[in-house]
Amino acid sequence: MSAAGEQLGGRAILDPALAPPFPVAALAVLRDPQLRKNVAHAIDVIQGKRARLVAEKPDWQALRAAASWIKDEALRNLGLYLEEFEARCTAAGGVVHWAADAAEARRIILDLLREEKASEVIKIKTMTSAEIQLNPFLEAAGIGVYETDLAEIILQLGEGEPSHIVVPALHVNRSQVREIFARRMGIRDLPDDPQALTAAARQYLRGKFLRVPTAISGANFLIAETGSVAVVESEGNGRMCLTLPRTLITLAGIEKVLPRFQDLEVMLQVLARSATGERMNPYTSLWSGVTAGDGPERFHVVLLDNGRTGILARERERQTLRCIRCAACMNACPVYRQTGGHAYGSVYPGPIGAILTPQLEQLRHSQSLPYASSLCGACFEVCPVKINIPEVLIDLRAQVTDRQRRRAGRFFDPLYLGLRAANLIFARAWLFHGAQWMGRMGLRLFTRKDGWIHALPGVGGKWTETRDLRGLPQQTFHEWWAARKTGTEGTREQGNKRAEAK
Amino acid sequence: MSASFSREVVLDRIRRATPGAAASGAALAEAYGAQPQNYIRCGAMSAGERVELMMQRLREYDAEVVECAAEELARTIATQLAASGRWRFVAPPGLPSEWLAAGFDWRIDEGLTAAEIEGAEGVVTAAFCGVADSGTIVLHHSASEGRRVLTLLPDWHLCILRASQVVETLPEYFSRCAAREQGSGVRDQESGNEGTREQGNEKMGTEGRWTREERTKRLPSLVTWISGPSATADIEMTRIKGVHGPRFLHVILVKD
Repeated sequence: MSAAGEQLGGRAILDPALAPPFPVAALAVLRDPQLRKNVAHAIDVIQGKRARLVAEKPDWQALRAAASWIKDEALRNLGLYLEEFEARCTAAGGVVHWAADAAEARRIILDLLREEKASEVIKIKTMTSAEIQLNPFLEAAGIGVYETDLAEIILQLGEGEPSHIVVPALHVNRSQVREIFARRMGIRDLPDDPQALTAAARQYLRGKFLRVPTAISGANFLIAETGSVAVVESEGNGRMCLTLPRTLITLAGIEKVLPRFQDLEVMLQVLARSATGERMNPYTSLWSGVTAGDGPERFHVVLLDNGRTGILARERERQTLRCIRCAACMNACPVYRQTGGHAYGSVYPGPIGAILTPQLEQLRHSQSLPYASSLCGACFEVCPVKINIPEVLIDLRAQVTDRQRRRAGRFFDPLYLGLRAANLIFARAWLFHGAQWMGRMGLRLFTRKDGWIHALPGVGGKWTETRDLRGLPQQTFHEWWAARKTGTEGTREQGNKRAEAK
Repeated sequence: MSASFSREVVLDRIRRATPGAAASGAALAEAYGAQPQNYIRCGAMSAGERVELMMQRLREYDAEVVECAAEELARTIATQLAASGRWRFVAPPGLPSEWLAAGFDWRIDEGLTAAEIEGAEGVVTAAFCGVADSGTIVLHHSASEGRRVLTLLPDWHLCILRASQVVETLPEYFSRCAAREQGSGVRDQESGNEGTREQGNEKMGTEGRWTREERTKRLPSLVTWISGPSATADIEMTRIKGVHGPRFLHVILVKD
């Protein structure tokens, strides 16, 4: 079995409290060419399709602006919209529960399942349930949990972890899927073409859909004005779970609410194009409470906070909650492309994970994630709700640094001593000029004839280990400016010539 | 923690996090006046182009599409059913009886069990709307469109869409929903409620928008947007048709 397969069996750690820092976790992936190939292939395909479909939309930027405005409005008045959703959903026959944290959400769901005397439950892919680690909790309580999304079945049967929020098993290739299905479904002579593998999954689940009377879903959108829930999917497993069981439990983050039904005219246009590179995903379902004779008789919604209100309270970070989980940012990210999702140590990988996870964890864990980016901005460019991820990353880096600096042991750390000295010097012109002069004199010793510094001793060597440093010019801007005002044209030209020479 | 306690905890956290929130529901309507809506809401195509695009998009999803005149509809349905090589079909209770072609085993869904629907080889329904831009068929699950499960379990779905139900853009569908000028594929209880419609007109706001209360009552409570047959690309991004929903989607576009 390849290293990717081992990782599938060996369980990547996606609990932020236990996961190793990003650079450590990433190293294992970088040494696994098969895994990198699988990831690169999958995101190349989605990226290409997305780019073609976005290019054909002349109003794409207007749609992004509208989508981002709608989510902002929902967040601005989140309390009112949630209360409206609750009232309408209840009037339509649904029951709304509120969970302050993951533990409470798990307990509410388990209590509901116990009331139903459910020994089994079928599930639609939901990242929020992965966030609260629902499956292991229910299994420990003796409830059989069956994922029904093809990718989730691959991961559940292969005991793997999701590495992407839309195509969670993109790191697994067809021969690995064949091996897992053959072993766990007990099928001999299973070929490895996707058609046959998909048919095997259909066969495996058909009976469960018709038999298991309780389902758990996530939500893509909650509609305040109608009390409806919308789920966006491709395979039809969602529709099965939403219509066949007697009881449906939907787990949704509080940020999923949209003010109006009509807001979907924007959201549905941007979501499928961004997520899978389709004009529209095959199936989107919307329902309101319970409908006599059509679908479940009992419907529960669990509204989950779990750190979201903490993000809501911070002005610059609030935009994180606009996210509609399309994964366009991870598909566009040069870092994710190399490392895949597991290195992020969270169910939310990629650029959005790098800002969402540390915030959900209130920076107690995942402190390395804000640094898992080159700040190139590709994620911001593709985001359909215009989340300025680099801006939030920088802000989180500042918060991480502030926390570290406050630790007592850090007072005499050379880095912080240096930064404090710099702070002192930069605040006083005479000290700054003096330091410039000293720096110029000092660095002259290391500057080669080509004007570059190739090696520095001591701490400075860390910089020159991987890159060259340009030598300081003979004249500072201030000196040049002063000379220009009092001196002749000649000085300026000399200055220009000197600049050109370099 | 008791259930109502957590509700207050979360709502209180939200209130503290959003000091700029509107004081009441009435103020929310105001806020919506500021929404940027400079994306394309109404298309510019002629009716013919619209239907052409709808058919092209459906075919790109591997759906089978045929066009026919209104008076040929019953005959076209019969031809499609015969060509499918299937004979056990289910139909929603509101489907016009002339659509139920002779020579096939029809079960009308008046409370069929899931197993009975699963046993059918195909299903025939009407639709609420078609969106040409994305090739999407929208079902509101009226008596002629059937319960949700009816268009889910059978492997073959024949959907009858009238040309006048086809809009060009998704926002046009949402405008139709709010206005409800367009009934379902066939007349049924969904489009028949005159009383509500007149009350609605009286309550329309000055900008021609429905009041929030009124909109809520008129909006559909069940919707399924279908864009091609069930599909997945979870294994190496290879698109595979037919995972759990119908593998075959057939559409008859009726010129009306």
